[in-house]
Amino acid sequence: MSPFVTRRIVNGIAFAFATAATAFGLIWLVWILWTTVSFGMSALNLSLLTQMTPPPGTSGGLANALYGSAVMVLLAVVIGAPVGVAAGTYLAEHGRYSRLASVVSFLNDVLLSAPSIVIGLFVYELVVRPAGHFSGFAGALALAMILLPIVVRTTDEALRLVPDQMREAAFALGIPRWKITLQILYKAALTAIVTGVLLGIARISGETAPLLFTALNNQFWSADVSQPLANVPVVIFQYAMSPYDEWHALAWAGALILTAFVLGLNLVVRLIVRRGRK
Amino acid sequence: MMNETASPLQIVPNAEPVTSGRTQVAIRDLDFFYGKSRALKSVNLDVPANAVTAVIGPSGCGKSTLLRTINRIYEIYPDQRAEGEILIDGRNVLDRRYALSDVRRKVGMVFQKPTPFASSIRNNVAFALSYYEKLSKTEIADRVEDALRQAALWDEVKDKLNASALSLSGGQQQRLCIARTIAVRPEILLLDEATSALDPISTAKIEELIHELRERFTIVIVTHNMQQAARVSQRTAFFHLGELVEFDKTSRIFTNPAQDRTRDYITGRYG
Repeated sequence: MSPFVTRRIVNGIAFAFATAATAFGLIWLVWILWTTVSFGMSALNLSLLTQMTPPPGTSGGLANALYGSAVMVLLAVVIGAPVGVAAGTYLAEHGRYSRLASVVSFLNDVLLSAPSIVIGLFVYELVVRPAGHFSGFAGALALAMILLPIVVRTTDEALRLVPDQMREAAFALGIPRWKITLQILYKAALTAIVTGVLLGIARISGETAPLLFTALNNQFWSADVSQPLANVPVVIFQYAMSPYDEWHALAWAGALILTAFVLGLNLVVRLIVRRGRK
Repeated sequence: MMNETASPLQIVPNAEPVTSGRTQVAIRDLDFFYGKSRALKSVNLDVPANAVTAVIGPSGCGKSTLLRTINRIYEIYPDQRAEGEILIDGRNVLDRRYALSDVRRKVGMVFQKPTPFASSIRNNVAFALSYYEKLSKTEIADRVEDALRQAALWDEVKDKLNASALSLSGGQQQRLCIARTIAVRPEILLLDEATSALDPISTAKIEELIHELRERFTIVIVTHNMQQAARVSQRTAFFHLGELVEFDKTSRIFTNPAQDRTRDYITGRYG
């Protein structure tokens, strides 16, 4: 048999295997999306946005949960993103040759892969127990700690991608480091940093475990972050586990909204990245 | 690269005299280290004012290192250090007490690859300017125009000063980098292979520019292109393995060098 025939057969088998593996992975993804859309669509209506989460046996909406989630994610970004960008800047710009920076970088990787339930427990001990009650602020803090390492890593990588020639050219003009970082390097790395923050938001908006220990839930409308705050992931968790059909429908609607939000955010990221390449 | 320089006879070197008679940069016993490896060995060199000095030599000979030492740009990297003196107007710029922003304002540098900042053409030129001087809007506009004119770029960009600098061609970007450097009115201009990434037409424009700028600035260029060195400079320094082998009038280096190593290099025997 000619070696080319053997090669072609091996190639055919390898290709078939790779295709099958891809299809296997995609099937689950499509299945999840299909289930979410088919169950969620039937529960979608305008009252989701106007009514509160209902007691068992009555109809209602997700207004308080959507609001709570939005507030906590926003607060997490306000806390986590600036700290993350600053730490990433330290790693990429100031700590390149220092031991401390490599230690910080390693610890950041550990935090990046830490189970979110551990972070939830930590914030529970740190904030919830001393305060004596669950609160939206504690939830936001837990989410910020999940967002933080993502932003640190992407900022670090984004700044390292700015060529050294750009730094040298700016330094050669005699401009101080802080001004170069703020006005030249951030500008050059802006797309990548914003992308990192958006992907971080996508990640934390679906987190459930850390919120169970921190924000818990709230059956009623509340805009007070010092009190327990309703949020979509925990509502999905509680309603999906319940025996009531109305609650099941709301859980699916919440799941669909959350999925659509994360999907949309990923699309925005792709658009930004594509525009940034031009 | 070396094929271009088959014989020294094909090069008609610049024979213009240096008119100023003044030394702008006096380099004394300069050593340079990358970590433990020594890249410059006891270099002594007097760079004449208001003239173009070319630094040539094979890759790794220390010519770029020399340039990077004059404005202390190497200090970004903590494992690099220089010993010796570089005197500009009698003051040693390697002295830590010499403020970096003062050194770099006096000594501008343009690099091999054009490095426009991701901002408008106007902002690129005005950026360093507004850091050094308190200027009104009209003064800044005047200085931007002045710098762009000196860099022979004004006519091409005057109608689109707010356009992104990244939209310019490579040659235009490099002239923008020169404009941005001379906007702060340095005395010395270092060009580190500033045309090696450009096409021949852009290169010719920049060489013309160097020729004009020489009256107002002291220019030091590092180049791999020996015709370029012969064309634009009045003085040429030949480096080999971190040593300054020969420094003389360009016309002499390219027609009758004193050292065998220089002759071998310009006749293309190595490099």
